[in-house]
Amino acid sequence: MKDGEGFNLKLEKGRGGLTVHLSGPLTVDVRRAAWEDFPASDGQGQSLLVNLSGLSALDLNGSAQLLSAGAKSGQAGFKVEYGQAPQDLTAIFELAREALERAAAEPPAPVGFFEELGRKIKETQKDLVVLITFAGELMAELLRGFRRPSQIRWNSVLSVAEIAGVNAAPIVSLVSFLVGLIIAFQSAMALSQFGMTIYVADMVGIAVIRELGPLIAAIVLAGRSGSAFSAELGAMKAAEEVDAITTMGLSPVRELALPRVLASILTTPLITMIACFAGVFGGGLVLTAMDFSLLIYWQRAINFVSPATFYICVGKSFLFGLVVAAIGCQRGLAAGDGPGAVGQATTSGVVSNIVAIAVLDSLLAVLFYVWNI
Amino acid sequence: MSGTFDGQAPPVEVRDLTVAYGEAPPILEKINFRIRAGEIFGILGGSGSGKSSVLRNVIGLVRPRAGRVFIFGQDLWADDGGHLNDCRRCFGVMYQAGALFGSMNLLENVSMPMREFTDMSAEAIETAARLKLSLVGLSGYEYYMPARISGGMQKRAAIARALALDPGLIFLDEPSAGLDPITSAGLDQLIKTLAKNLGLAFGVVTHELGSVMNIVDRAILLDKEIKGIVAEGDPRELARRSEPPYVAAFFNRQSLEKAKGEGPAEGGSKRRPGRIE
Ligand SMILES: Nc1ncnc2c1ncn2[C@@H]1O[C@H](COP(=O)(O)OP(=O)(O)O)[C@@H](O)[C@H]1O
Ligand SMILES: [Mg+2]
Repeated sequence: MKDGEGFNLKLEKGRGGLTVHLSGPLTVDVRRAAWEDFPASDGQGQSLLVNLSGLSALDLNGSAQLLSAGAKSGQAGFKVEYGQAPQDLTAIFELAREALERAAAEPPAPVGFFEELGRKIKETQKDLVVLITFAGELMAELLRGFRRPSQIRWNSVLSVAEIAGVNAAPIVSLVSFLVGLIIAFQSAMALSQFGMTIYVADMVGIAVIRELGPLIAAIVLAGRSGSAFSAELGAMKAAEEVDAITTMGLSPVRELALPRVLASILTTPLITMIACFAGVFGGGLVLTAMDFSLLIYWQRAINFVSPATFYICVGKSFLFGLVVAAIGCQRGLAAGDGPGAVGQATTSGVVSNIVAIAVLDSLLAVLFYVWNI
Repeated sequence: MSGTFDGQAPPVEVRDLTVAYGEAPPILEKINFRIRAGEIFGILGGSGSGKSSVLRNVIGLVRPRAGRVFIFGQDLWADDGGHLNDCRRCFGVMYQAGALFGSMNLLENVSMPMREFTDMSAEAIETAARLKLSLVGLSGYEYYMPARISGGMQKRAAIARALALDPGLIFLDEPSAGLDPITSAGLDQLIKTLAKNLGLAFGVVTHELGSVMNIVDRAILLDKEIKGIVAEGDPRELARRSEPPYVAAFFNRQSLEKAKGEGPAEGGSKRRPGRIE
């Protein structure tokens, strides 16, 4: 019975109209080619009798194939009539026919351009409100936490700090080290032509500590921890855990977002320090390879960095830590339901984070220039 | 009916199956049962007795620690599972939570297996999918996404999908779990209709007594204490027995202590398997 063998369709033309004789097993295995002779055009009101008495087996898919072919003939102008099926197959065929008569849903109409546009605008508007509400709530919770630190759940803060912060140190160091190395190498190529190779130290020092260290740490954290926050909270939202927290009279922001944001604020500056160190060290390696003493390089690099630059580095890393965790958590808590929601929340969290970091960094650069620091 | 290898072999035959996870001690040891053509077979037991685990072994998701599983006479793990996929195509499964594909609407969910495994024309596939959705009472919902319909509807849609390739055998994991009595009774009715009119065999995992009494022709009752089948037979008949205590307790919704005869202190008689047949 495999591969639809044995099923046969024979077309007979009589005076009153056409008759189709079906025989053999009409099952899921029947191939579409078997239906080629089934009349499907130019009906002109002729009658088409389908003789089922030769069938030896019938299942739902077989019935569906027959009924679908019959419907096509009906549209082509035939008056289709089904004959009696063998005793033991009648029940299935009737079941299938009745079921199909009840099935009648039309596909939903496609959404027009303006409707789509309007919906998007409305959604963005709602998103914005949610975002601002979240920011306000988070700030309130942070202030509360500062006033009464004993009420913060330090256990969760510490465990998040370990997973999201400490465990990120190796990858941040590696990326930063390589970036320091590349900058030093490229600038050394240019500066050595003027015999000013040692100025590479000044350059790497300022570039890494003022800009790249915080930036690299923030971007790696956005990809690593921010996305994890979105996914975790998104999954909790999907599993109604967030609703459970709300109905207990607790605040999801305080219970879920606050520990993560605090952990991120506390660990990001440390991670940034590690990034700066690794970056400067990477630069140093290039200069040692060019026969400079590592000690001299180190002194120049550190000396050139003013206290203000250092504070900028630390300040930025606080800010980035806050933003990365806050956006990550917000996207998670704002996740929709449905199976794709967690994935969407995660993607949206990472994208928003990277955009936010880039914009924030540029704004700060402009501000510091204006303030002359 | 197509999808079966031949008409003679029973849909399911399980021989000396030992169910275990990893290196842990087995959950069930050397169990034997058989699902006959056209019958609704119940795999019963309390929570954690290993019902879902048995199912996972029988449908080839987990390789049994020991013993053999035959589906329509084909040994699932012969050739080291080489033709496992052929065997899988001749049964359908409804998972505990439905497991519909969330990114497809119901019509696409039901059409997918047909598109993959048959040579039917696109119109025939659509007709077949509509037909099956209508059969489970979901006509009008063809273009809904799974997330937008209720749990009971998701389960019915999952049955429609299990029917996609016209298998001779369908497994259901906890069909009535989480459903209200009316929806649950509707689902029972549907299973009964399908078994009667299509001659399908059903393997139903459940601990819902109401639906067991309603639809199940024959059942096995699993017990984690003796790590095996504690009773086997027609559930309506099993319900009339008073021995062993576990069987009586299960079918009469009693606590085990009560079934053993009032008071937990009364001599710790070890449960013994009892069989009808
Ligand atoms: N993936 C797994 N790994 C290890 N143990 C499992 C796994 N799934 C279930 N178990 C154990 O097997 C036993 C039976 O579980 P299960 O088959 O889900 O029971 P039931 O479906 O009857 O409620 C339980 O004790 C459970 O802890
Ligand atoms: Mg289970």
